[in-house]
Amino acid sequence: MDLLCVLDFHRVEMMLPIQSKINFGAAPKKRALFPQKDLCHKKHIVNALPIPVLRAIHQTGNGTGSQIHRQENEDRIVKEEIMARILRINTRKKTHSFEEPGADLAALGGRGLTSRMVLNEVPPTCHPLSKHNKLVVAPGLLTGTAAANSGRISVGAKSPLTGGIKESNSGGILSQKLARLGIKAVVLEDKPEDSGFSLVVIKKDSVEILPADEYVGLGNNDVMGRLWDTYGKRVGVMSIGPAGQQRLAAACINFADPNGRPGRAAGRGGLGAVMGSKGIKAIVVDDSGAGKVPVADPEAFKTANKRWVEILKGHPVTSQGLPAYGTAILINIINEAGALPTKNFRSGRFEYAQDISGERIAEVIEQRGGKTKDGCHPGCVIQCSNVYHDKDGKVLTSGFEYETIWALGANTTIKDLDDVAMLDALCDDIGLDTIEMGVTLGVAMEAGLIPWGDGKAAIDLLKKVRTGDPLGKIIGNGSLFTGQALGVDRIPVVKRQALPAYDPRAVKGQGVTYCTSPMGADHTAGYAVAPNILKVGGDVDPLKKEGNVEVSKNLQIATAAVDSTGLCLFVAFAVLDTEDGVQTIVDLLNAQYGLSLTPEDVVKLGVSILKDEHTFNQRAGFTKVHDRLPDFFADPLPPHNVTWDYTEEELQQAKQYD
Amino acid sequence: MATILFNAFSFLQEKLKAKDHPCINAHIELSDGSTVADLVSAVGLEAADVEAALVNGSVRPFDTLLQNGDRVALIPPGTPGPYRVLLGMAGRKKAK
Repeated sequence: MDLLCVLDFHRVEMMLPIQSKINFGAAPKKRALFPQKDLCHKKHIVNALPIPVLRAIHQTGNGTGSQIHRQENEDRIVKEEIMARILRINTRKKTHSFEEPGADLAALGGRGLTSRMVLNEVPPTCHPLSKHNKLVVAPGLLTGTAAANSGRISVGAKSPLTGGIKESNSGGILSQKLARLGIKAVVLEDKPEDSGFSLVVIKKDSVEILPADEYVGLGNNDVMGRLWDTYGKRVGVMSIGPAGQQRLAAACINFADPNGRPGRAAGRGGLGAVMGSKGIKAIVVDDSGAGKVPVADPEAFKTANKRWVEILKGHPVTSQGLPAYGTAILINIINEAGALPTKNFRSGRFEYAQDISGERIAEVIEQRGGKTKDGCHPGCVIQCSNVYHDKDGKVLTSGFEYETIWALGANTTIKDLDDVAMLDALCDDIGLDTIEMGVTLGVAMEAGLIPWGDGKAAIDLLKKVRTGDPLGKIIGNGSLFTGQALGVDRIPVVKRQALPAYDPRAVKGQGVTYCTSPMGADHTAGYAVAPNILKVGGDVDPLKKEGNVEVSKNLQIATAAVDSTGLCLFVAFAVLDTEDGVQTIVDLLNAQYGLSLTPEDVVKLGVSILKDEHTFNQRAGFTKVHDRLPDFFADPLPPHNVTWDYTEEELQQAKQYD
Repeated sequence: MATILFNAFSFLQEKLKAKDHPCINAHIELSDGSTVADLVSAVGLEAADVEAALVNGSVRPFDTLLQNGDRVALIPPGTPGPYRVLLGMAGRKKAK
């Protein structure tokens, strides 16, 4: 399969001053993954006439004078229509430009695209907050289509937290709007020479880079509220809070959910600090007037999507478990399995797990009038999100997820669900990664800065990040920084990133992923699973080493591929049990782009992404010694009293792809 | 007689609460020689209601003999994966 047809397009630059507004023609109607072979190798023709004019001339048959000109114009229309473009924002000059993706980018989307662009364009040894780093925001390959659960977005850069490559994935409503505008990626480049902040507004016919003075210092709730008031209630927004403005290493980028709340985030790796270093407070995307994302074979797409929805709606996880209890359904299960990290990874069981469980949360939400199910983007049929109200019946937080509840709850031994929800709400508003902050609060408790289990003290401490208090700056830089500042020797990180909600001693496959993922300790790096092509069975023992390196490796490959499609990783739950699950995803891709891909091609895509990411990290200076868990994981973990006992050489097998 | 510490999660809690059957940290007495399958029946559930049983924190087949003092939790279909794989739940109703 020739996936990467060579396209010879010239880069078209439009260097415009601040607040400039230009018409760049009709939004492309087709995107550039796997262009049709018969369109490859055609020479791009730069024509002064805008596309709508050309189309009108072509349709009437008047005005061009010759068949040659007519053919040239036709070629140009076709090529403009198939190419989604890359929008580059120069944050120093306050200018923007559009370009056609090069041959090695044309077939990529989502994580595949962000990681390839970071590898190609970011010097691996650069400081992550310097002008040399770039923030790449990319919808997935299926994003913007009618495919269910395809509205995710990838954000990539060199991470200020890990020092390696980072892709952080989020829901929200912005991704589908970018796709409909025919924008394959937005890239923030360079760095302002002053300390001011700007607002980027992307519409069908314009890109504006505006002063953001009125939004500086605001939390994400206020930013999104004001932007919806100004630009309309349905626009997509990604923004940073005070943590990102201060360029703290635990800062995230928040995305407006369908209710306009900052409940979704590209959380991990400090990408909010990169956005802050570029002086961009928020990006607004308004797709008013944009057409649908075109599909090469609409009938085949419709058939595949019908089957896709059947799979998702017919599986007990995606149709019942997640909508009823959200991801927090895992609290009781992981706790029972002895793998819920408790009190800074001292035990695998939390005595009060039931109090913060998914079952309990659903009960409280129903009592107070919140929402037990909600989608993070239009077209989601799983609806695993939620809206949690306080005791007075007012919205306290949304997107109250398993990882968050574990980090801010069991890990800190805070058992008051309302305190945990308040901490989550603060993280969303200040713009902080909830996993990193939960582990950081645990480290602060380890140091005796605040008492174990004291929710109110944790809330007061977290609030200091908003104000720029020196202690807040320490906390806001994450677990390792905080541990070093406070003289703590029990800091659960890999590649400087805090471990998520599964103790690696009791779920060894997850531990292998923590160690060997190019992302640092990351649970979502090994999430998806496709047993029929990856030979992942159900007979692995989580407490033993046997088979878990192979499981982790296959999960990482599948996850990288899913992260490129724009599909939510939770679709993997249904795909796992459905014979034609993977084939249906492939059918969707084939129908959209007119291809003949096989599941094996999807595996190859996943491998190529991981190779890109590991290559960047190697060039940045990472070696196998960075693939280690902290030494305290050699201590037994109750209740199973298991230890972490992999050698470095054993772990490296998870990175051998050939 | 064997006394076990019993928990049920997710939809099983709703089903058992509807039957007024204790399902959170409940102590249940079973006759000697009882298995996980016997426990499922004893609390009024169907085998199809339960995807996996955790006995003392590990996924075990339904023919596992229960001992006095065991801690047992029943989990319905609907556990978000990959944890069904990583915890060894998938296909573990039967002994291997």
